[in-house]
Amino acid sequence: MSQSQTPNLRIMVFACLFTALIMIGGYLSFPIPFSPVPIVLADFFIMLAGLLLGASWGSASVGLFLFLGALGLPVFAGGKAGLAVFFGPTGGFLFGYLAGVFVIGLIAGKGKSSLIKDSVALIVGNMLLYSMGVTWLKLALKISWIKASALGFLPFVPGMIIKIIVAAALIKRLRPLLQSLITDQR
Amino acid sequence: MQNITLGQYYPTDSFIHELDPRTKIISILMYIAGLFFINSFSGYITAVAFLILIILASKIPVKSIIDGFKPLVLVIVLTLGSNIFMTNGSIVLFQIGFIKVTQEGIVRTLFVGIRLLLLIIGSIMLTLTTKPIKLTDGLEKLLSPLKKVGLRTHEIALLFNLAIAFIPTFAEEIDKISKAQIARGANFSSGNLYTRAKNLLPLLIPLFVGTFRRASELAMAMEARCYSGGNNRTKMAELKLESKDFIASLLAASFLTLVILQSRGILF
Repeated sequence: MSQSQTPNLRIMVFACLFTALIMIGGYLSFPIPFSPVPIVLADFFIMLAGLLLGASWGSASVGLFLFLGALGLPVFAGGKAGLAVFFGPTGGFLFGYLAGVFVIGLIAGKGKSSLIKDSVALIVGNMLLYSMGVTWLKLALKISWIKASALGFLPFVPGMIIKIIVAAALIKRLRPLLQSLITDQR
Repeated sequence: MQNITLGQYYPTDSFIHELDPRTKIISILMYIAGLFFINSFSGYITAVAFLILIILASKIPVKSIIDGFKPLVLVIVLTLGSNIFMTNGSIVLFQIGFIKVTQEGIVRTLFVGIRLLLLIIGSIMLTLTTKPIKLTDGLEKLLSPLKKVGLRTHEIALLFNLAIAFIPTFAEEIDKISKAQIARGANFSSGNLYTRAKNLLPLLIPLFVGTFRRASELAMAMEARCYSGGNNRTKMAELKLESKDFIASLLAASFLTLVILQSRGILF
């Protein structure tokens, strides 16, 4: 067997792993009063996918998640599924997942890794995600920016902070482990 | 977590279940396309009749279908709400402050609601009648012409199958680790932001370490079994089109044609 197959196959398997984790994160859904956007862990795993897999494979992982949901598998927040979710008020967050993971992977993948750079990547990625989600929410429900932010952003700020802190803390341990497993240097 | 049901597949013996997954995927795409051509009441009647035909042919209980779109109730309500309260019109039925309901708004809401419901149920029917692995097999076949432009369709299908196969394993892992940590006194839901974040680490680190190793072992096992990508691979279970598939495709195409003609005013 050609050695060139090993990294590709392994990174593919890890991309699938993160897709599965993102799906599970979607099941872990907690409704918020008066808001159509529930709290989920899917975005947390998306952050890690961007940091660990990079822009390309991270995007592939999230893209796979979105495609499976579009097909009708109940993998979106709260067990939702189908194309209707993309057209609904929360559809922007789904597209924001894809944009966010790409940006996180892009920033984190440049140069030598560091806590500061990872943190910046996570913050920028999350801001992009929520920007897309809130904008879509505003247009879908025909409400003001203030109302859209109140429904789709402000309630999630504490959770976002927690997720960023945890992701930044985890990455220091997970990145070398993943690299060693991908290159089979255990 | 142990109750995660992926795909919502409902096992039974029916005409729809026995169709080739490619047929169902293409048919659902034609169905969805048809929904967006509808612009009249007669078009909605056609769509509803077609959907009822599918439901009857699938032998799936109505309760299972209703259960399938329960998670989407909030999406539906909010989408309809944005239409009923935001659509301008000349005939105002009632008004409270800036909130007003017009006759045009109600009509628009009714049509949007029906279309949304038809879209959701159609999507649900696909996964209720098709196993996830069959869906990915069908997708691989349908995307195979794109190999000529460099799309690695087999690898995409593999990604789908692996992701789906991982889910029950990881769900079990999360349950196991969280219960083990709780038994040791871990608390995941109290304290300030920093404390909560810190308390998550005993759950997440072993989860990732365990799943990473499992993924690595899977890749190694695949390599040991001489997996080298999609080139020259054979399938244990080949997809075969039968006469029923052509009948179903013809019906779906007829639906699409009919609603297009109705939208152009050629047919009532």
